[in-house]
Amino acid sequence: MKALEVKNLCISFGGLRAVQGFDLSIEKGALYGLIGPNGAGKTTVFNLLTGVYKPDEGIVKLEGKDITGLKTTAINRAGVARTFQNIRLFKDMSVLDNVKAALTDIYKYSTFAGIFRLPSYFKTEKLMNEKATEILEVFDLDKEKNILASNLPYGKQRKLEIARALATNPKLLLLDEPAAGMNPNETIELMNTIRFVRDHFDITVLLIEHDMKLVSGICEELTVLNFGEVLTKGKTSKVLNEPAVITAYLGE
Amino acid sequence: MKKKISNNMITYGMILLFYVIMQVMISTGSISSLLQGLLVPLCMYAIAAVSLNLVVGFSGELSLGQAGFMCVGAYASAFFTKLTEETLPEGPRFLIAILIGAVVAAIFGFLIGIPVLRLRGDYLAIVTLAFGEIIKNLVSVFHVGVDKSGIHFSVKDAASLNLDEEGRVLIDGPLGITGTPKNANFTIGIILLFLTVFIVLNLVNSRSGRAITAIRDNRIAAESIGLNVTKYKLMAFVISTALAGVAGVLYSHNLSTLNVKFFNYNTSILILVFVVLGGIGNVKGSIIAAILLTALPELLRELQDYRMLIYAILLIGMMLFNWAPSAIAFRERVKDKFKSNKKEAA
Repeated sequence: MKALEVKNLCISFGGLRAVQGFDLSIEKGALYGLIGPNGAGKTTVFNLLTGVYKPDEGIVKLEGKDITGLKTTAINRAGVARTFQNIRLFKDMSVLDNVKAALTDIYKYSTFAGIFRLPSYFKTEKLMNEKATEILEVFDLDKEKNILASNLPYGKQRKLEIARALATNPKLLLLDEPAAGMNPNETIELMNTIRFVRDHFDITVLLIEHDMKLVSGICEELTVLNFGEVLTKGKTSKVLNEPAVITAYLGE
Repeated sequence: MKKKISNNMITYGMILLFYVIMQVMISTGSISSLLQGLLVPLCMYAIAAVSLNLVVGFSGELSLGQAGFMCVGAYASAFFTKLTEETLPEGPRFLIAILIGAVVAAIFGFLIGIPVLRLRGDYLAIVTLAFGEIIKNLVSVFHVGVDKSGIHFSVKDAASLNLDEEGRVLIDGPLGITGTPKNANFTIGIILLFLTVFIVLNLVNSRSGRAITAIRDNRIAAESIGLNVTKYKLMAFVISTALAGVAGVLYSHNLSTLNVKFFNYNTSILILVFVVLGGIGNVKGSIIAAILLTALPELLRELQDYRMLIYAILLIGMMLFNWAPSAIAFRERVKDKFKSNKKEAA
């Protein structure tokens, strides 16, 4: 079964056709890349997949289930988690609480139990702490778990966003420029982390990236967007050498 | 985690200390009767401020109608108390009155919150502002009386209730409710304040509270991790209005005459001032600000005509010294010094 199937996705903003006839099909467990020049509509595709925008046309299927037009919250519950191009952390909360917030609907106790500190509160909070720490360890953030998210260095904030997205137990993880603003060493480390996450958590990863080293290093297949339409798709090494792709990036 | 817990303990300790000091002062007679009369209102303002802080500070919405919800709680509970004055013993009756005040205010909060909190933007401020004014005017036209045949209701005047000889008028329009027994006292006020702080602090440090603060910090990210934004905003708002209702109960059971004049826009703003001055999202600060700013006009009474002028200057001064960046840095330095001293001692 395909992890994600998208057919003929379209959206316009006023007269601007931001995304036109977008098709995508990702195998389960794949590491898939979505690339294209600035303004090609990559982030708009992510926003369509996660319900931030409602598509004018088209179908989105997650593991065979139709999730087209659902609200962001419902889409996350169906199994899609994402990170953002411009980091969106809960900046006045601790690193640990950022991840625990994402566990809200996985480890439950009633609000009443929370206010009056019934035994279920202590039991569930302990499980939440263990789970959150376990996820933070993957990203090497467990030592900083008590500091405020806004006080983390940039690269670690990006990692925390991925950790938070993973905490919701997704089937599909969407990463919007995960390596933006990272130095080459951090990028290599990130590549290994993404690969590890895919294998360890048994998920499918779709990522937007401009860093071609990262793209060619970990993505097995690519789709190239240009002016809101699919330019080409296929195996990474093949796609990156296509003249049309090079033209799209560099011009004639 | 540990820091949070100790911070909460300081808040509880502070309330307890305030209570003990006031009790000692009362028993030694070193407190003016005016200030003594202010003790229950102090608790009421503190409860209202802490409850408003839940909405303004933790859920990041602006509510300008806290007095309106206090009004609802005050009237509902006073009405119940008057109705059952002869049938129920005092203790349980007041307990039920508190619950009724909280529940009725919460119902109003729920009804307002459902449509408004689904919107993005500062609509809650606009709607609660309107609610505060509407409820004030609405309550002041109600005439309710009771006699053998049951409860009578009119929006005209007390005479048109058509009560029999033994009938009693419970709510008399603009005159409000008179003769409510004075069940509230300082001890009960402090217990309710304690409970309010307990509820707010524990809620904030629980699963739902994390969701509430996450939504405040970044709504889009909160949606992307599957949090139901409306549900958690509504939860914070309804709990806040219920606690405001409790503050209203304290008010109505502390005075023998209850009318709507008190629950106006100025009171809502005054409570907001407590919250802002004490620090948005800072429960301890809300209590301190409420107590200081309520007691201050009385303490300044000797200055007579200049009283409100000095009060305003003090307000501005407190705001500057509390929130100026250099003042915050100074506090941090003092805190660090204190900490390192403690470490050396250990």
